[in-house]
Amino acid sequence: MSPARKVLREGLWSNNPIFVQVLGICSTLAVTNNLSNTLVMVLGVTFATAMGSWTLSLLKDLIPRKVRMIVQVLVLSFYVIIVDILLKAYQPAISKQLGPYVGLIITNCILMGRAEAFAAANKPGLSFLDGVANGLGYGWVLISIAFVRELLGFGTFFGLKVFGEGFTPWTIMVMAPSAFFLVALALWAANILKAKAEAAAKAPKPKAPGAASPAPAKQ
Amino acid sequence: MKPKKDSLGYVVVFTFIVCVAFVLLLSVANQVTLPRVEANQNYASHYAVLAAFGLADSSTAKSEIEELYLSKVKELPARPISAASAYSAEIDGTPYLAVKITNPGLWGPITAILAADPPAERILGFEILEQQETPGLGGRIGEAWFTEQFKGEKVSAEGRVIVAQGTGKGDPDPENSRVDAVTGASRTSDFVQILVAKALAAVKEIGGSL
Repeated sequence: MSPARKVLREGLWSNNPIFVQVLGICSTLAVTNNLSNTLVMVLGVTFATAMGSWTLSLLKDLIPRKVRMIVQVLVLSFYVIIVDILLKAYQPAISKQLGPYVGLIITNCILMGRAEAFAAANKPGLSFLDGVANGLGYGWVLISIAFVRELLGFGTFFGLKVFGEGFTPWTIMVMAPSAFFLVALALWAANILKAKAEAAAKAPKPKAPGAASPAPAKQ
Repeated sequence: MKPKKDSLGYVVVFTFIVCVAFVLLLSVANQVTLPRVEANQNYASHYAVLAAFGLADSSTAKSEIEELYLSKVKELPARPISAASAYSAEIDGTPYLAVKITNPGLWGPITAILAADPPAERILGFEILEQQETPGLGGRIGEAWFTEQFKGEKVSAEGRVIVAQGTGKGDPDPENSRVDAVTGASRTSDFVQILVAKALAAVKEIGGSL
């Protein structure tokens, strides 16, 4: 597998930020009761992770180890503030909807996690791709959860009514606890699928130990 | 690997340069977009005032807002302390008043525009201008189904409109001085109730002095 394909595969599935790294859970709980907020959050996180990883990878040979985390935070928050400024200027309605959550992208552990685990040891292009892959890996899980929460909590899909007047909204789906349940269910399903895939890969031709096991997080 | 990368001098100089560079870029981005952001805020404020008076809605062309605002809305110089600004407009020959008011919300201040008749007995319209409530929960106070409920709502003898748990779909009765709260956001709804009462008191104060 080429390095680019491996990076994509890991971000989207085998080392998925939500399922495997269990990062970015705070925002998963917070924004997923509404699909359009989730979409903007996902785009913001993907942009900030990809650009942040790219920049940090470019700078990696210059950054002293002592201050590397400070520099990471600086660079990542730079991109988050850029997102905030752009939204305020060009998408005021979305900026108003999301309020403080845009600024809180910086507290998403995926950003620092990828900067530390990948960008610090890989080339800029590949780090950018890793950021995109992780952003999208985070994104598809979040959007799936938001789909269920918005559908059951409000009876809508991207704000469009799906169910008729007779539908009673599941209030719990709007509140944070439902995100806990759904994330846990998603984790459970993903782990079962992965265990099955591993068993299937091992059973017919047991060779190359470790090839089928999930790739450990890079140092 | 440069040998002196971890020396104190290098660390200090490097950190300084990186900080200055990124902060500089940010301030440039901020300055460049500032006129646009201000224009957006102005537009949002004018639109909210017009919408509260019922003079504009989402179908009104963006280009018409400014003209409509200048021709129909008068900004009042005298205002009660509690309101940030006050406006008046004549609709079908009847005078109406509106106030822009800022009051605490759950996470930060909520700024809203409320229009009513001068004695503050019936609300004409209500628009949320700025809020930092929880997105998807309290943040939904900005949605049309919530603010529309205030349109034509009768104000109770105590000078307020109650925001309380209902079906969560909107209270259709304009005579009961009561609107549906946002499900799952009762604290935010309480803050809106307080804000509306304050705005009504401000309208009444201006209305009484006319």
